Amino acid sequence: MIVLKWLFLTISPCDAAEPWQLGSQDAATPIMQGIIDLHHDIFFFLILILVFVLWILVRALWHFHYKKNAIPQRIVHGTTIEILRTIFPSIISMFIAIPSFALLYSMDEVVVDPAITIKAIGHQWYRTYEYSDYNSSDEQSLTFDSYMIPEEDLELGQSRLLEVDNRVVVPAKTHLRIIVTSADVPHSWAVPSSGVKCDAVPGRLNQISILVQREGVYYGQCSEICGTNHAFTPIVVEAVPRKDYGSRVSNQLIPQTGEA
Amino acid sequence: MANVPKIGKAVYKGPSVVKEIIYGITLGLAVGGLWKMHHWNNQRRTKEFYDLLEKGEISVVAEDE
Repeated sequence: MIVLKWLFLTISPCDAAEPWQLGSQDAATPIMQGIIDLHHDIFFFLILILVFVLWILVRALWHFHYKKNAIPQRIVHGTTIEILRTIFPSIISMFIAIPSFALLYSMDEVVVDPAITIKAIGHQWYRTYEYSDYNSSDEQSLTFDSYMIPEEDLELGQSRLLEVDNRVVVPAKTHLRIIVTSADVPHSWAVPSSGVKCDAVPGRLNQISILVQREGVYYGQCSEICGTNHAFTPIVVEAVPRKDYGSRVSNQLIPQTGEA
Repeated sequence: MANVPKIGKAVYKGPSVVKEIIYGITLGLAVGGLWKMHHWNNQRRTKEFYDLLEKGEISVVAEDE
């Protein structure tokens, strides 16, 4: 247990792009965990097919080398093998399709009563976030802009092209509804560790439901070409403990809304 | 030259398609099984991580110095 604790305490979750990264970022939502599990399921079949095909190819090259097998046969038909090589791939496709459709439809499930609704609006080239749950009829919603921190203003330890001045603060372990749209050209609101990528289309409201399972800071980038600064419009979601969410919003965001 | 035993000439019979297919599928399943073990190990570690997080034995929030 001590070793386990030591191992876990010194491993920080991968919630942003890492240099030379090969696999996915660590999952922070059940959706992302489902996506990773589906990938692992499909990869098993990929490995099975790859190894099988490579084996047959190498063995064919070995057995029918011209020095070993001077006279090649002219085979044009093989009914049994043709039936088998049609049926087996269909069975494999079915085994891939079942978990794939299960995940796809579960991702489309709309959470009936999310605790918080946040609107993410794409602009050229920044984001605007609106927290409209706290309105009374006379008040404006809590709104702030989120710009990338330029490279020359970064502090030590911050990530290049990923940090923003105002993060989206959300409570962890809470159902959220994110409504994504754009004020000008198409953008896309993507946060890989949350398994979210939602197009921001002008004149349209797209809705996604997420549940962030652990506190942390999650990074993403604009994922639809939107002009010259498309690469400089990141997204940062900060999931805080539920008990701290109220104070974070009131202390941090409301003064910034006042300035904006 | 009587009673000389006949010397049979070795003829290359070729591979057995069925055997090669079986070997290929077995090898594929073996390597696929290794991948599955990696997947199950990852799932177990993730579950342990969230269990420890829930119990409060570990934290993802850095302490203020």
